[in-house]
Amino acid sequence: MRRHRWLIPWLLMAPGLLWLALFFVLPNVQMLAMSLSSGRVGDFAFSWDWDNYTSALTRFPDNFRNSVVYGGLATLLCLLVGYPLAYGIAFRGGRFKNLLLFLVIAPFFTSFLLRVISWQILIGDRGPLLAVVRDTLGIVPANFTIIGSPLAVVAGITYQFLPFMVLPLYVSLEKIDRRYIEAAKDLYAGPWRPAGWIAGGLVGAAAGGALMLGLGYATLAAASLPALLPAMAIGGAIGGLVCGFLVSESFVRVVLPLSLPGLFAGSVLVFIPSIGDFVNAELLGSTKTQMIGNVIQNRFLQQNDYPTAAALSFLLMAAILVAIIVYARVLGTEELTGGRAA
Amino acid sequence: MNDNDQHELQAGISRRRFVQGSAVAGIGAFLAACTTGTTSSPPASAPGQTGSPDPSPSASATPESTEVVGPLNFANWDAYIDLTTDPGADGEEGTDDDEYVLPSPTLNEFQQQYGIEVNYSNAEIDDNETFMATIRPQFQAGVDTGWDLIVLTDWMAAKVVQAGWAEQINPAMIPDALANVRDELKGMPWDPNLEYHVPWQSGATGIGYNVVSTQRDLASIGDLFDEAFAGRVTLLSETRDTFPLVHLLLQARGETSENAPEEMDAEDAERVHAFLGPYVESGHIRGFTGNSYLRDFSGGDTWAAVVWSGDLASAGTDDDRFVFPTEGSMIWTDNALIPKGAQHKAAAEAMMNFVYDVRRAARIAAFIYYISPVKGVAEAISEFDEEAAENELLFQPPDVIAKQHPQPNWDEATEAQVNELYADLAGV
Repeated sequence: MRRHRWLIPWLLMAPGLLWLALFFVLPNVQMLAMSLSSGRVGDFAFSWDWDNYTSALTRFPDNFRNSVVYGGLATLLCLLVGYPLAYGIAFRGGRFKNLLLFLVIAPFFTSFLLRVISWQILIGDRGPLLAVVRDTLGIVPANFTIIGSPLAVVAGITYQFLPFMVLPLYVSLEKIDRRYIEAAKDLYAGPWRPAGWIAGGLVGAAAGGALMLGLGYATLAAASLPALLPAMAIGGAIGGLVCGFLVSESFVRVVLPLSLPGLFAGSVLVFIPSIGDFVNAELLGSTKTQMIGNVIQNRFLQQNDYPTAAALSFLLMAAILVAIIVYARVLGTEELTGGRAA
Repeated sequence: MNDNDQHELQAGISRRRFVQGSAVAGIGAFLAACTTGTTSSPPASAPGQTGSPDPSPSASATPESTEVVGPLNFANWDAYIDLTTDPGADGEEGTDDDEYVLPSPTLNEFQQQYGIEVNYSNAEIDDNETFMATIRPQFQAGVDTGWDLIVLTDWMAAKVVQAGWAEQINPAMIPDALANVRDELKGMPWDPNLEYHVPWQSGATGIGYNVVSTQRDLASIGDLFDEAFAGRVTLLSETRDTFPLVHLLLQARGETSENAPEEMDAEDAERVHAFLGPYVESGHIRGFTGNSYLRDFSGGDTWAAVVWSGDLASAGTDDDRFVFPTEGSMIWTDNALIPKGAQHKAAAEAMMNFVYDVRRAARIAAFIYYISPVKGVAEAISEFDEEAAENELLFQPPDVIAKQHPQPNWDEATEAQVNELYADLAGV
């Protein structure tokens, strides 16, 4: 028995490995072969047809752009909404922690599709949101609608994947030893001023600008500066105030760095599914907000154009992989990806 | 009241009845899927209780036999046959809380008459392509699909017939169907003499609008492009509905060929694409949808759209209206076919004939609110359901029928071209 000890981990891993081989490796090999095939449905033939990749890259630039922009914005919004939420639950949740966490996950007890459809109602023309914002308060023009706009798609994706951001962040925040914070305070860590005003202002302005540009409410042209600048100003003001008054030096120097693994995991977990999502764009968007997932779905199910669909799937996978590698490098969380910080 | 007002069909559909019927039928399908094995004890065992059809060949049935041998394995769409009425909580039949379940009166009668079992699989077919994907491999391999009777929309039925995947029907077995089928349903180019199919039910494609949002009545396809509705218009993702309808509009304006919609070719489709392009680019047309336009109507985000005839009447509000456009409308039919190699062909033929009895056809039509393919249903239905007898969804006026066109039956190359044009418009 002792001689075969080396077998034990392999035996334990066998079910998982078998599962991966059958349902991940094998289908991917098949897809790879399909992406290099040509012909019509029923008799595709493997032919090293690299044209599938070049045409997939060149024919759908708008959809690739939409995917990256919407996925990126949704990740950003999830972070902006999710970090305070996770922090609040972890540090101020008290005995309600479990209840609050349950509330974050509770929507997941209903089906994904039902949640998207309920957003159709919430942000619909006769929905409660516009009834308040447009009809009662009059903040937006009378003909303003949300359904069909990039805002609807990004809002939908943000909502759908928010728990994927909150849970890893909560885990990494929760395990932070509170004595570190006390130690920081003992070492004269106080309010984050004036650095917080500046940093928060810059981050807020950048986020405001990114949202306006990404959601198509402004462009970089001079004509849309009247829309862009106020948004950046408002974002900057909010960011400055939040960081100046709510954020302390101990948070910036202790809590934030220690929560980086959770932040990394959360953003990866949000970014990957949201960049490949197509349900929100399909049900909440318009012909101009279609993402690359919609193209893949259309190629597979309506056009019977499997090679292009397979090529697009691989390009999407490659793009996500590259984005994550870059992100991991920038954030310096090698321990997550296997390496060790020196 | 102008001429178009009479085509508004907002009233008359018992929506609770239809919606509840499909919900209950869905549960029936679920239960059916959960039960395995076939109880082969004819005649009176209930249908819809068995899951996948019995693939084993019946001992005494040969494809050319005229002896009706069961069981009949019948795949159909959701709530596409009359269901049994069970008195609801108040214990009285014919009130609002009645429940609808399988088996159906029609299927029961069939079983009693022929002494065979019917494995009726409700909601087995949800989509032509998806269902075909489950039986195409068997067709290609030349083996029995396990089904004796399937129901497919015209264009897919045409593909199946053209591929030689449908059994030729013995005309001696379906005298009622051949005698009672409405004349306009004959002469389909892919099977003009009903040698391989009989129509099951039909529906129309036209214009739906919410009169409160549009603040006026719509009458034509051209009304969809009224500037006042910018951003509130959707078209159907079914290319065989959307492209021919816009083709009709362009014809009315003299901007395209004289080809009938059912004959429209790739060039005609290019012109439709060129016409729609600017409206998509400007955002006037927000998107291309399937049944989800129902939610967009209820949310106020869609004011006018290309829709299927029954939906708004059965699931919309009183302000959601359907019109048959002045330019003409599309008519499509779901057709019953016997898949090649079916083990109980005579039973399938018997069923095809059975539902062409006028009285039974009227009962089915009064339940499902689609257009019956059977002559004389109007008279038969008025004997027991006045409301249904006057509904223009079931019985379209002659001037509407005169301007109705079947969906085009494109060859593979044209279909691929149209799909590409559609994808370009839909932004995918």
